[in-house]
Amino acid sequence: MSEPLLTVRDLKTQFYTDRGAVRAVDGVSFDVEQGEIVGLVGESGAGKSVTTSSILRLVEEPGEVVGGKVRYGDRTLVGFDEAAVADEDGRPKLVHSEEMLSNREMREEVRGNEIAIIFQDPMESLNPVYTVGGQVREFIQINRDMSKEEAREEAIEMLRRVGIPEAEDRYSDYPHEFSGGMRQRVLIAMALGCRPNLIIADEPTTALDVTVEGQILELVDDLVDEFDTSFIWVTHDMGVVAEICDRVNVMYLGRIVEQGPVDEIFHDTKHPYTEALLNSIPRPDRTVSDLSPIKGTMPGAMNPPAGCRFHPRCPDARRACREVEPDLLEVGLDHRSACIKHGEVGYWESEPLEHTEAQPETVEGPR
Amino acid sequence: MSLLRYTVYRLLQAIPVMFGIAVVTFLMVNLAPGDPVDYMISEELASEELIASIEARYGLDEPLWRQFLNYLGFSWFLGLLGVPGFADAPPGLLQGDLGLSMYYDRPVSELMLTRIPPTLMLVLSAYAFALTLAIPLGVVAANRRNKPTDHISRIIALFGVSTPSFWIGIMLIVIFGVWLGILPTGRMVYPWRDPAFYGYGNHLELWYQTLRHLFLPVVALGTLQMAVIMRVERSSMIESLQSEYVQLARAYGVSERTILRKHAFRPSQLPVITLIGLNLTTSLGGAVLIETVFAINGMGRLIVQSIQTLDYQLILGTTIVLGFVFVIGVIITDLAYAYIDPRVTYGEEA
Repeated sequence: MSEPLLTVRDLKTQFYTDRGAVRAVDGVSFDVEQGEIVGLVGESGAGKSVTTSSILRLVEEPGEVVGGKVRYGDRTLVGFDEAAVADEDGRPKLVHSEEMLSNREMREEVRGNEIAIIFQDPMESLNPVYTVGGQVREFIQINRDMSKEEAREEAIEMLRRVGIPEAEDRYSDYPHEFSGGMRQRVLIAMALGCRPNLIIADEPTTALDVTVEGQILELVDDLVDEFDTSFIWVTHDMGVVAEICDRVNVMYLGRIVEQGPVDEIFHDTKHPYTEALLNSIPRPDRTVSDLSPIKGTMPGAMNPPAGCRFHPRCPDARRACREVEPDLLEVGLDHRSACIKHGEVGYWESEPLEHTEAQPETVEGPR
Repeated sequence: MSLLRYTVYRLLQAIPVMFGIAVVTFLMVNLAPGDPVDYMISEELASEELIASIEARYGLDEPLWRQFLNYLGFSWFLGLLGVPGFADAPPGLLQGDLGLSMYYDRPVSELMLTRIPPTLMLVLSAYAFALTLAIPLGVVAANRRNKPTDHISRIIALFGVSTPSFWIGIMLIVIFGVWLGILPTGRMVYPWRDPAFYGYGNHLELWYQTLRHLFLPVVALGTLQMAVIMRVERSSMIESLQSEYVQLARAYGVSERTILRKHAFRPSQLPVITLIGLNLTTSLGGAVLIETVFAINGMGRLIVQSIQTLDYQLILGTTIVLGFVFVIGVIITDLAYAYIDPRVTYGEEA
C-alpha cells in the first residue's frame, strides 16, 4: 500500500491543572489511508476528542501537545526534535521541529481545506446570529479561494447534496429554524464543501435520534464513495463502528489498546477491553441480565493505574497485569492488541486477580 | 412579521402601559402629604377666598376623578362631543398639555422642552463615552484573559463600579477645574443657541466650547456605565470565545481576528444591548446628581426643584414623561434585540 494519508505516531497531549499534569493522550499511534473510514472508539474521557484536536493543533489552554509526530501527506502537523540543551532533570528537552508547519500555515493550508471537522453537538456548533447558508458559504469561500458568489452557489449545492430540501430557500434561514438532524447535515455540508481529503467526525450522531442517525450514516457512506474522502470517526458506539468503519482503534485512558480491521475487531477480538465493550451493547437476542457492562468507571488520567491501565476493571486480570505495561503487539494481519496475554511476560503463570476493590488485602495475598 | 410591523405592534402595546403610568403617578402625587397651595402663600395672607381662587385656577377645586379626567385630557374630548358638564374642559395630557407649573407660573410642557435637551445631551454623550471605551476594552480583556491587559481593565472596571458618580464629579472639578484650571466646571453652553449669546464668533467655536464644558460631567456620569458595560462585554465575549461555533470557525481556518470581530463579537452583544437599554433610562437618575454638581439646567434639576416646592403639576408632568421615556427605551432595546438576534420572534403568533 502507498503512503498513508495521515500518520499519527506516539502522540502525547497533556493538560496542566493545579493538581498536576493530566496525560489525556499518552502515546497514540495510528494511520488513515486515502478513502477509508477509521473508527476511534472508547468511553467518555478516553482521550478520543483530545486526539483529534491534537491532530489539528486545536488543543486549548491549559492543554498542550507535548510529544509525538503527526504527518499529513508530506506535511508535518506535529513534530518534535530533541533540543541541544537538556532541562533541569537532565532529560533532553523537546522543541518543535523545523519542518513542523507554522500556526499560519496550519490555519491557511490545513484546517478546513485539507482536514475538516464535524462536531458532536449540532445544536451548539452553528453560530446563532448568522444564517446557515452564510456560515457554510464563509468556510467554503475561505478554504477554496472562491468569490462570494461562487461560494454561495457551491454552498447551496452542498446543502442540496446532503439532503436539505429546498436548499435555496433555506440558505437564508437561521440555525434555530433547523432541527438537530438538519443541522448535522449542514455541518456535513460545510465539511464536504471545503473539499478536504480527511474529515474528522467527532461523535457526529451521538446527539441525534436513531432514525436520523441511520440516515446520516447512509449519507456519509454515499459521500465517501462519491468524493473518496477519508474519515476519522470518533464514537463510543460499537454499533456505528460496525456499520461504517473500515478499521478501528479502541482507546482506553489515553492509549490505544486494540487496533485492526473492523471484521477482526468484531470477530476475532483480542483485547479484554474491546471484548467488554462489545458485551455491553444491548442486542435483541439478549436480555438485560445477559448484558455484562464493564464494572466501575474509568480512572482519572492524572494517576493511571500501574501496569496495564485496564487491569482494575479487567475480568481477565492477573497479578502480572499490575506490574507490566503492555505494548501494542501484532496479533493478526494489521491487527494489534495491547494485552500482556499476547506477550512473553508470564501472564499465564501469574495468579488471577480477585476483583474486590473494597478489600485490597485479598489482592495482596496472605500476609 | 416584518421588523416594521413589529415596531408598530410594540408601540401599540406601550399605550396601556403608559396609561397605567399616568394613573399610578396621578394617584401617588395626590396621596402625598402636603398641600401645594400652602406653599404658595404665606400664613397671614391666606384667606378663604384667596385659597379658593388659587384652587380654581389650577383646577384643584374639582373632585379627584374629575381632576384625573381633566389631566389626561379625556374631559376635553367629552367636551368636544358635547357631553353636558364638560363644555369648557381644559386640554390635557392627550392634547400635549401638562398643565401649569405653580412655582414658575409657566406651562409644564414648555418648561420641560427647555430642560430636556441639556439632559439628553449629557446622557447621550456619557453613553457615547462609555461605549467607545467599554466595548473595545471588554473585547481586548476577553481576548487576553488573565493577562496584564485584562487585569488592568478589570481594576478600572472595579473602580468605576464602586465609585459614586458625584464623588468622581467633585474630584474632577478639584483636579481639572481648580488645580490645573484647564477645563470649565459649570455654566454649560449649548450648541443649539446663538454663538453670539455666549460671545463666541462662530458655531465651530461654540461646538468646541460645548465639548470642553461637557467633558467633566460626561466622564463623571459615564464612568459607572463604562465599567458596567465593560464587565458584561468581557464575560459575554469570553463565553462566546469558548463556544463550539468559535471552535468550529477555528477548525475551518478562520483567522483569530475575524473570529474576534465577527464570529464571537455579534452573539456577545445581546446581553450588552439589554444592559444599555435598561441603564440608559435609569442613568437619568445619575443625571440628577451630575446636573446638581455641575450646575446644568436639565430635567434632573427640574425634578428636584419640583419636589422641593411641591409643584404639583410639575411633579406629575416630569414623572410621567420620564416613565414614557423608560417605556420607549425598553421598546428600542427590544427592537435592537430583534434586529441582532434572529431567534427573537416578532410577537403575536405566540
